Amino acid sequence: MMTTLIMKELRAILASPKFSATFAVCSLLILLSVGLGIREYRTAVSQFDEGLQLAAQNLRTQSSWMGFTTTTYRAPDPMQIFIPGVNNDIGRLSGISGMEDVKLKHSTYADDPIFAIFRSMDFAFIVQVVLSLFAILFTYDAVNGEREGGTLQLTFSNPVPRSTFILAKLAGSWLGLVIPLLVPVLLAVLLLLLAGVPFGPDHWARLGMFFAVSLLLFTFFISLGVLISSLTRRPATSFLLSLAAWITLVLIIPRLGVMAAGAVDPVPSVAETEARVDAFARDRWDQQMKVMETRWQARQEEMRGMTGDEREAYQQEKEKQWSDEDEAGRQAVQKDIDDYAVRVNEDLGNRQRHQETLAFVLSRVSPASAYQLAAMSLAGTGVQLKARYEESMRAYRTVLMRYVDARKKATGEQGGFRITVDSQTGFHFSAPRERGTLDVSDVPAYAPPSVRFAETASASVVDAGLIAVFSLLAIAGAFVAFLRYDVR
Amino acid sequence: MLKLIIEKELRDIIGSTKFTVSFAACSVLILLAFLMGAAGYHADVARYEASRRENLKKMEGLTDWMMVRNNRIFLPPSPLGSLVAGISNDIGRTTEVHGRGELPQDDTRYGEEPVFAMFRFLDLEFIFQTVLSLFAILFAYDAISGEKERGTLRLSFAHPLPRHTFIAGKLIGSFIALALPLLVPILLGCTAYALLGVHLTGDEWARLALIIGAGLLYFGAFLTIGIAVSALTVRSSSAFLALLVIWIFAVLIVPRSAILIAGRAVDVPSLDDINAKKFRYTEQLFTEDRAKMGGFTPAKTGDMRKMVEEFQKFMGSIADERQKKIDDFSSRLDEERANRQALQSSVALGIARISPSAVFSLAASTLAATSLSLKDRYLDEARGYQQTFGKFMMDKTGMNTSGGIVFRMRTDDSEKPVPIDTHELPEFTYRPPTLAEVFPPAMTDLGLLVLCILVFFAAAHAAFRRYDLR
Repeated sequence: MMTTLIMKELRAILASPKFSATFAVCSLLILLSVGLGIREYRTAVSQFDEGLQLAAQNLRTQSSWMGFTTTTYRAPDPMQIFIPGVNNDIGRLSGISGMEDVKLKHSTYADDPIFAIFRSMDFAFIVQVVLSLFAILFTYDAVNGEREGGTLQLTFSNPVPRSTFILAKLAGSWLGLVIPLLVPVLLAVLLLLLAGVPFGPDHWARLGMFFAVSLLLFTFFISLGVLISSLTRRPATSFLLSLAAWITLVLIIPRLGVMAAGAVDPVPSVAETEARVDAFARDRWDQQMKVMETRWQARQEEMRGMTGDEREAYQQEKEKQWSDEDEAGRQAVQKDIDDYAVRVNEDLGNRQRHQETLAFVLSRVSPASAYQLAAMSLAGTGVQLKARYEESMRAYRTVLMRYVDARKKATGEQGGFRITVDSQTGFHFSAPRERGTLDVSDVPAYAPPSVRFAETASASVVDAGLIAVFSLLAIAGAFVAFLRYDVR
Repeated sequence: MLKLIIEKELRDIIGSTKFTVSFAACSVLILLAFLMGAAGYHADVARYEASRRENLKKMEGLTDWMMVRNNRIFLPPSPLGSLVAGISNDIGRTTEVHGRGELPQDDTRYGEEPVFAMFRFLDLEFIFQTVLSLFAILFAYDAISGEKERGTLRLSFAHPLPRHTFIAGKLIGSFIALALPLLVPILLGCTAYALLGVHLTGDEWARLALIIGAGLLYFGAFLTIGIAVSALTVRSSSAFLALLVIWIFAVLIVPRSAILIAGRAVDVPSLDDINAKKFRYTEQLFTEDRAKMGGFTPAKTGDMRKMVEEFQKFMGSIADERQKKIDDFSSRLDEERANRQALQSSVALGIARISPSAVFSLAASTLAATSLSLKDRYLDEARGYQQTFGKFMMDKTGMNTSGGIVFRMRTDDSEKPVPIDTHELPEFTYRPPTLAEVFPPAMTDLGLLVLCILVFFAAAHAAFRRYDLR
């Protein structure tokens, strides 16, 4: 009996013009999105390669370890083809220098705001917005439509248990809608293979899980449609209700949740935080200047009464010691400033995470936002993308600066050039031990952080579970509602 | 006769449960957009003020203007930007202004707080563009085919009724019944916006009124499309399906894919490459200048003060020369990129304008001054400020302080130095465009919306003349 009912359901769906229309639209969309995504990814990769080359070139042209700077770039991840997340919203690169903290700058959208106007059209978006709408569109009249058409009474003139009927309804609609969708999805995967996108086993695992979560969301919306249909008498009513539910769940709640969190728990701006760090830095340098001044005076004092030649000789003798002293002082100040910046940034980061947690809790009321969160966790393109890169770039900065300090010590270099002022002889510029270029062959290289399947999977498991719970509730609801449904 | 049809349509729509439910939902959303917009605006203002305050604070206590090497300016939030976000969250709002040189735009809202980028904002533009358009087709899809199915169409035409009167009555009636009630929550929202302490100037009110006008035109466009499709189809269910596909394409697909496809078709020189070129050129010039610096000998030795003054002047002049070269070099590169970008966006937006939804969105963001031009305008304003700032620093210190090296004289005999008054610093005021400036570019889009209504009305009319009433 069950199979007969499922077959009937399948036939009804597959034969309808509604189905051909939506199937065509969905296939087109999925293929278009993956095709465009691959193109975007390729652009990002060539941009990244170019960036690495430019950075290497800049390394070679630098002439001094003092003020040594480089640039690190975020590496594109092929998962962004399916789920770009906030990838285009956060900066692509950060300068690495002894003086300034890591800061991601030049987001794709800020550099080329034309792409920000309507944002991207990715697979996750299509599932979340378009497929969910179609799921509802196919199921809003699943039960009450048959009642109005009179076929429901007809079915129940046979010895059919109600539970069998509703389960067949759910299973049939699910199969009828999911199986055809596998076609464009498989084509998209084929496209991915043909395009030669570097997908490792880890990526395949993440992609597989992403498809599974997408299926889960689709299941939820199918069950929701059946649930609403078995709660109402007329398809016109259930249609209106379903549409209202879709708008609320997909369009409103995710945005509202985040905005509410932003209003309840505002986070200070980066500019404000930076100004605080700047003020601290200024005070510390000011203090340091005073220390230096007394130190210089003390040195002058040591040389009091010497003849010009003696002075010269004494200065030469002491030069190394003095510059080491000055350098040590400079480094101590820079360390203080860095530590302060870390503290302030940590504080900002904590407040931001607090806000994010609140935003996510509020928006998770809707399975559509849980889906978005799960998808972004799997792709590693959620809010954590920024933190992950900032953290790894900060670690790299520490390593690099340690290396630069060691080089400075080894080469005895004191910087680009020096100006000495003497009231008798005037100004002197000198460039001590300056070479044309530096030997940068063993400068530590930056390795972008990698994301492991296990991490992303465990991060997305809560959201996936949430969608599963929502789906089960909808299925159970539909089941219970239909047991009491008046079939006349 | 027309009046009668309109009245019938009004009664039909307003009396239905469908109307009550969807009108209530839309009202809630519109009010929410205004309330959340006001809350967001206040939060933005607080952040903006805090940034400015901290920026001044970091300079307080300095005793020498020489020590002020740069100033930071911020793009202020605008009350209309909270209703029509446009690209205002995507572009950098902080600019570090030196007396000369580049004006970077850093700290984008979405970059700073990616959580907002994940779901974006629920603003008035979004509600008009996405929700109200859906609302329009929900009422228009069975305008004709629904009446036919119920049999009321034949009844109407049992009277001597010209077909064009009927279709015009349908459109006008449903527009009045659906759009005018929307004005209630919109006006309430505007009032709430003002009551919540968001201050709008007369000019901004006028622009807001035009944005709402554009929204109603867009609503009308979808209503007309709906009636046209309804007149082209026999069954209301197929009309709805067709409209939903049209809606998905117009709202979600066409704008996005048009930009992605056309945007990538026009190549824009890479910004990283340009920046690297600039960096290398600056380094090269600096190395050259270093030789010049080495050759510096003051005319008069002995008088320390005079010597330092001469030195400053010398450094200032070579820095000016260097900057002039860099500026020439940069402006060539920047201009080339800007030109390509302009071409790219005109192609991309030209194609996107196939969709009325993109047209509305562009019109609204142009009117709200949050369209693509916001970035350039902010840059222009920052350039103006850079001049003022440079001149001010010149007056205060005798040199443009971004020359690289600043010499400070400290003498023991002088009295305790006096802190600078940071309030003397020229203030950056962003001058948002006026109605007169934004109206002409928005005109095209408003015209396109009107054109869309006319074309689809003609289509509806043509289709209905041949419509089988039975």
